[in-house]
Amino acid sequence: MTPPVVELENLKVRFGRREILHDISRRLGTTGEGKAIGLLGPNGAGKSTLILTLLGFHKPAAGHARVLGFDCQRQVREVRARIGYMPETEAYVADMTAVTTLRLMAELSGLPARMALEKSHEALFHVGLGEARYRELRTYSLGMKQMAKLAQAIVHGPELLILDEPTNGLDPSARQRMLRLVREMKEKQKMNVLLCSHLLRDVEQVCDEVVIMNEGKIVHECDLEAERRSNKCFVELEITGEDAGLRNALADIRAEGVTEGNGRWRIVLEPGSEIDALWELLARQNLLVRKLTHRRDTLEEIFLKAVGHIAHTPGEHNQTRG
Amino acid sequence: MAVYKRGYHRYQGPIRGRWARIMVLPRFAWRRLLQQRLVVLLLVVSMIWPLLCAIYLYLGNNIDLLKGMNIGSELLGFIQGNNMFFLVFMNVQAVFAVFLAALTGPGCIAPDLANNALPLYFSRPITRTEYALCRLGTLAGLLSIITWIPGLILFAMQSAMADPPWFSEHWRIGAGLFLGFLLWIILVSLVALAGSAYVKMKVVAGGLVFGFFFILSGASGIINLVFRSQWGYVVNPAWITRRIWYAMLELEPPAGPGALLCFCILAVGIILLTLILKRKLRPVEVIR
Repeated sequence: MTPPVVELENLKVRFGRREILHDISRRLGTTGEGKAIGLLGPNGAGKSTLILTLLGFHKPAAGHARVLGFDCQRQVREVRARIGYMPETEAYVADMTAVTTLRLMAELSGLPARMALEKSHEALFHVGLGEARYRELRTYSLGMKQMAKLAQAIVHGPELLILDEPTNGLDPSARQRMLRLVREMKEKQKMNVLLCSHLLRDVEQVCDEVVIMNEGKIVHECDLEAERRSNKCFVELEITGEDAGLRNALADIRAEGVTEGNGRWRIVLEPGSEIDALWELLARQNLLVRKLTHRRDTLEEIFLKAVGHIAHTPGEHNQTRG
Repeated sequence: MAVYKRGYHRYQGPIRGRWARIMVLPRFAWRRLLQQRLVVLLLVVSMIWPLLCAIYLYLGNNIDLLKGMNIGSELLGFIQGNNMFFLVFMNVQAVFAVFLAALTGPGCIAPDLANNALPLYFSRPITRTEYALCRLGTLAGLLSIITWIPGLILFAMQSAMADPPWFSEHWRIGAGLFLGFLLWIILVSLVALAGSAYVKMKVVAGGLVFGFFFILSGASGIINLVFRSQWGYVVNPAWITRRIWYAMLELEPPAGPGALLCFCILAVGIILLTLILKRKLRPVEVIR
């Protein structure tokens, strides 16, 4: 049986008396598939602690964490040999050029010296730092340093790429480039990716699965691909007027919704339903539309619900309130 | 095909063994250190004294040559390749070792800590202990060039040039020279690495190495003067090590604490320095 990319078994991590990860058990991803798992959560949710535990930096107080079938504490060498890690903070080896740094990292991962040099050049060209590869890393701009961190993470061809906030500090074009590179890693190179971010859009663009953490627990897990396939349309609405009958009326146009009070609604249109039908319904109900935004992504809804900012996702049968 | 045309391909070839991987760090560090002119200059200067000692030994074993040069009989009696000669050699080279460690040691760890490079290293198949040993090995390798390696060459020279029974009678000098320098190298390297890990700034860490040896030496002198005893020496790492060398080279010991006590104090010091390193070498700072 193919082992999962990450397997957590009653995992607890404590810093002193403070318990950061509370008894997590979960199997994430399948090895060799080249899928990306997004790790989402508000600040302090335990995302970075989980990643650092997978790298063997933190010792679990109880339970086990396995990566690609290897125990993160007892088989830490095997785990680290198969992982490429891009840390969140600025990190580089001083007084070294980019190509020398990558060569050092590749050799530390076990590549023969000649191959390490070759792969260093390859990785730097791949992330767009080919022309700057003989410059010292400390002279790089923030965006270039982010790319260099990605290059050092992929130089040895890892099976699992762990990226901690990879788009931090990047301008929009650099951000798009970074996300494109990460997508390429999973699609063309068949690397598994574990992407930790608080930017929903980044996760949505890259990941196939999403794990949402809150207060040291995994509170939700979903298959983004399946959500995308469902092609639901989410509408945020602000209206003026008597809206008590709107919830029942939404059923006429194959939609469901919840009100958040003060004329604010979240509505889900089933596949095939058009936004024009909603406009017409609102007109028939004599409701004045102050604002209407619609989108086809779902992650924000899922995330807000998972971390408790909204009670229910509209579209969930028998749970809507109105 | 050129690299930029070929594009990135995931490496899936053979992986080298553990020791080959571990030796990567010292190899890169030595290359980087030997690119610094000041380090090379200090290495060259440190070799002057061994060279003079080699000439001294050569002359000492070729008395006829000296007689031909009309050198007085007093000097002829003075030139001898004995225990005291090797102790003097060790004392001088030990000072150079401190200078070299102060110059090169801080560059081994402080920049990695200052630039947050440890997560990059420790996300590879290398442990904290291995990283620390690699850094220690880097310094030990460099210090060996100016300490026990020339020391053993001089010892071999003396053994070869002196009359046959000399080696069998004095082999302990060779062993003492090697072990004594090894002790000194470990101490000096650990001071340099722990200082560099503690302050994270190269210049300050370099100053800390000098401070550790010279200030403690001064402090021990003051203690001895104030209390009119010789127990002040226990805070002087240089004196403690030299006291052990006296025992190793079978020389008449100076007044003060015994060799065994000095060895215990040195062991405690080495353990404390190791603990500082262990505490500071973490890939991530944990706030409890």
